[in-house]
Amino acid sequence: MRLPASTAIRRALAAPRGRAGVMALGAIVLFGIVAPFALPDPFAQPDIVTGAMQAPSALHPFGTDQLSRDVLSRVATGARVSLAVAAVAVALSMTLGALVGLIAGYLGGAVDALLMRLVDGAMAVPRLFVLLLLVAAWERMPLVALMLMIGATGWLGTSRLVRAEVLRLKDADFVRGAEALGARSGRIMFRHLLPNTMGPLLVAATLGVGDVILLEAGLSFLGMGVRPPTPSWGGMILDGKDVLTAAPWVSIFPGLAIIATVLAVNLFGDALRAASDPRET
Amino acid sequence: MRWLAGRVGQAIVTAALAVVLAFFLMRAAPGDPLSRLGDEHPLTPQQVQVLRARYGLDQPLTAQFRAFVAGALHGDFGTSIQYGRPVTDLVLQRLPASLLLGTTVLLITFVLGSWLGAAQALRAGSATEQTVGALSLAAYATPSFWLGLVLAWLVGIEWRLLPAAGMHDPLLAMDAPWATRALDIARHLILPALTLAAVNIGATMRHERSAMLQALREPFVQSARARGLAERRIRWHHAFRNALFPVVTLFGLWLPLVVAGSVFVEKVFAWPGLGALAADAVSARDYPLLMGVTVLVSLMVVGGALVADAAYALLDPRVRRA
Amino acid sequence: MRRLISILAAILLLPICARLDAQAPGGTIVIVTGEQATVPVPTLIEGAAGTRANQELADQLFLRLAVRKPGRATSDEKGYEPQLARSWSRRDSLTLVFGLDPRARWHDGKPVTARDVVFTFGRARDPQIAPSLAAQLQHVRDVRAEGEYRVVISFDEVYGEQFFDATYYVQPIPAHLLASLPADNISRSDFVRAPVGDGPYRFVRSVPGESVELAAEPGFFLGKPGLARVIFRTATDPAARMNLLLSGEADAMASVVPPMSNRTRLERTGDFRLITTPSDLLGYLLFNYRNPADTSRPHPILADARVRQAMTLALDRHAMALSQFGPYSVVPFGPVSQMLWLGNVSPKAPRQNVARARALLREAGWNDSDGDGTLDRGGEPLSLSLIVPSSSIMRRDIGVMAQEQLRQVGVRLEVIVLERPVWQERFVSGRFDVAFGALRQVPSPSSLIDSWTCRGANNVSHYCDPAVDSLLSTAIVTQGNAAPMFVDALSRIEQDAPATFLYAPLEVIAVHKRYAEVELRDGSPWLMLWHWHVRRGQDLPRDRVVIH
Repeated sequence: MRLPASTAIRRALAAPRGRAGVMALGAIVLFGIVAPFALPDPFAQPDIVTGAMQAPSALHPFGTDQLSRDVLSRVATGARVSLAVAAVAVALSMTLGALVGLIAGYLGGAVDALLMRLVDGAMAVPRLFVLLLLVAAWERMPLVALMLMIGATGWLGTSRLVRAEVLRLKDADFVRGAEALGARSGRIMFRHLLPNTMGPLLVAATLGVGDVILLEAGLSFLGMGVRPPTPSWGGMILDGKDVLTAAPWVSIFPGLAIIATVLAVNLFGDALRAASDPRET
Repeated sequence: MRWLAGRVGQAIVTAALAVVLAFFLMRAAPGDPLSRLGDEHPLTPQQVQVLRARYGLDQPLTAQFRAFVAGALHGDFGTSIQYGRPVTDLVLQRLPASLLLGTTVLLITFVLGSWLGAAQALRAGSATEQTVGALSLAAYATPSFWLGLVLAWLVGIEWRLLPAAGMHDPLLAMDAPWATRALDIARHLILPALTLAAVNIGATMRHERSAMLQALREPFVQSARARGLAERRIRWHHAFRNALFPVVTLFGLWLPLVVAGSVFVEKVFAWPGLGALAADAVSARDYPLLMGVTVLVSLMVVGGALVADAAYALLDPRVRRA
Repeated sequence: MRRLISILAAILLLPICARLDAQAPGGTIVIVTGEQATVPVPTLIEGAAGTRANQELADQLFLRLAVRKPGRATSDEKGYEPQLARSWSRRDSLTLVFGLDPRARWHDGKPVTARDVVFTFGRARDPQIAPSLAAQLQHVRDVRAEGEYRVVISFDEVYGEQFFDATYYVQPIPAHLLASLPADNISRSDFVRAPVGDGPYRFVRSVPGESVELAAEPGFFLGKPGLARVIFRTATDPAARMNLLLSGEADAMASVVPPMSNRTRLERTGDFRLITTPSDLLGYLLFNYRNPADTSRPHPILADARVRQAMTLALDRHAMALSQFGPYSVVPFGPVSQMLWLGNVSPKAPRQNVARARALLREAGWNDSDGDGTLDRGGEPLSLSLIVPSSSIMRRDIGVMAQEQLRQVGVRLEVIVLERPVWQERFVSGRFDVAFGALRQVPSPSSLIDSWTCRGANNVSHYCDPAVDSLLSTAIVTQGNAAPMFVDALSRIEQDAPATFLYAPLEVIAVHKRYAEVELRDGSPWLMLWHWHVRRGQDLPRDRVVIH
């Protein structure tokens, strides 16, 4: 009934879907690292009057934005910020969410009531004002702090998903059996229950990737996150919002990049879920 | 029953604490309601003083808090600074639009989404299933205002099949028959509801699919099979029920959207809901209006958690009430 | 022969043209706005309620004593046309006398009298009730009634803008309905829910968050309004506003440009005309003279006029304005919006001059000694931050353009996007190096005092030139040609470069082609809506309404 993480990952990588997902993700990451060296300067504004919002052409395969900058270069450069935010924030929020969900669900009683009411309370307070206080206190917030902050505030829903799964499973035979054998709570939670909550956890992580990339852009409107002219996918989408019908390419390409990333993560996540299911043969 | 009473008590206390915290966080955050005024039409310090006194902002924070609590207990949240109207009126005027859009979207997302997700699980691996899965995920990763703008452009402008924005046709006479007015609202509702449902349904589908895949391999499903129950009954009665846990959780998490709405979609379709109203109140630092909305939203947040917890017990009697 | 044919054709076509311009009965206009009017009542349009939406609606419901004719100077007493006042005269250099039109009626049928005017001025001049209005009316000493229909307004000093002050800010409200209500209760009263005015249109209904409907007052004493129904429809999102126009659900909208792509989209429909009026908007990069960390000390970089001038010269302001507004903006000379008549008499703004900018910076001691592309002096880099409110994508885009152009001359400009109230707080308290300001000016040059004199209420950057102060204060009280003095003041401001003035746009308004007699006023474009009508034969189903 237990399955070491490394085994699950190895099995997921062996599956064709898992391999395809990882290769696609690798390609996107590589694009973000290598492509900017081969492409025009993503900050250069060659001609703000006549060069702005040019449709895709041989010179600018993804067109140009409102400031006449090359959209392809910006999508490539933007991958760095967006992928880093997605990876760090999602990993952190999944870890925290799983931890709190496991503890609340398995221990139950007063612990559960306290943890879940804290989660409710945190969700009921408008997050915006907490963020504004943070901006005021910490004007030059580094990107790492921003990523950690997005992760540290994004686990609330995940913890409820994991807890629900634990509530469902904690009377199951394999848990009862382990308890009867005298296993400690920690062991039951992490060895027996955690692998069984991989389903909702991985789905939440997949969905979280897209959410987090857009959230980063929203935060830059509060004065957090990357500053102009540094591009990020979410930021490019918001910038292109008002010209969506006139110059769709400004925001469609970063949007497609997000969708491609989410689909790649999903392929791997799905393979991982199948591989981590102890009953899977 | 005792469980429920205790749980409701907890919920109310949580909501109250969240509201109190929100009150002080709002005041502590930089910017104030009068800041909106100075950008285009500058005010002198004396003018600012007069206006502060008018809105009660010159009082000590504790006095302002006492006034808020005293008013709130009577359902009076004061006068909106931005709109110069009673907050209760403003919120109640906008609530129906939010409820209508939110309920429609939640219904589509959860009823259709969990059914589609389960159906996906039963056909896992097939080409159709893979395509549907990828499409729903792509829709989920699509910013809602994109889809909204594209639909408004295509259906509202190019084809002129449905109104591009708003909830009512302002040209419709006030004394039009109710059926005409209902049809008018329905026509306005389609595009925003479709947009929100399309971008959200991916989440329910994904969770339901994953849970259903797992449930189909659970021992009780195997034993039901061994007992010779009909496959259809096994799937939709035993497995599906068990696979609803994450979806129910998600429903609890999303329930507040019924009042809080989706800011982007409300704006793109000029839907007169509470979401856009609250978002604008934030940038105006309209404290009274914000507190009115916050009270409503926090009640929905704790209510959503409560509904989810109650539903677990209904879905699976084995779940001991926490 | 050809001439004969054309004359014949003209004669034949004449009746058709005449018929084209004939008025269709009824008539509706749906105007899209960004906000909904919730307290469209003069004297309440104060503080947070001081929105354009409230003012524009109030302009339909409530009359002024007189309104300025388009393009005329605010100090020109002959440049006004009668509204509530039928006539006016001067008793002396401190006293104006207005004779009210006895035909004027409130929408409840009661006559508009001198008592209403005196009552309204009383409210407007009370700083506890209307702090902003009271400040604008600070030179009004006394307002009193002589009989039913004569109002005498006296001032405490001789100055050119007396007539403007007496007529622009105050729109009388009905004393018989409001005198008994305590002033601070009006905003929660039934009067605000359904205001009773004296204008060409009366209030019908308000649909929260969506629209406000007005109906023509058939017995309006200045003439029957040409449109039977006016609907102000709200959409806070700019894209949604455009969609309402493009889908044919709305007939008119202000602030169409920027973005310029809106023009193309509207032209493609063939249904709309784009009409421009001068706008009261002015955009600029404001340089702080004081150290943002300690406002009692000079700014370490920007206190030097050469740096400010160099930054101004390094920017291609014409290209920036062109990129955002297309043909609909000029680069202003000094802080002058197009609605301010000073724009017509002042010189042109200088063009970008990168070589000169470089020379000025060198002269001020800034060199790139470490070769990193950024200038430095005594080990300190020439690095500044620009605060921009996140509410305006246009301001942020222009900020990023400025950032890139300044980088070319070795000035590092960090663009800091701040949530609007946070930006405002920083702006007002002087905690910035450079701030992207956008000001709406009243049409009178007195608005220059607030921001550009040493003790101006809105002078947040601590710019101070006593010569400018004295030029402006003399020019404002000058009766006669004050233009040269104003231009002198503007030239001094330009020279000292307390700010880089970026754009002074035109207001671009889209109006459906079926309307005739379209007259738009700067500041309040829909002010003369009651002059408009729908051309006969071009009316749409929604135009077929009758005035009750």
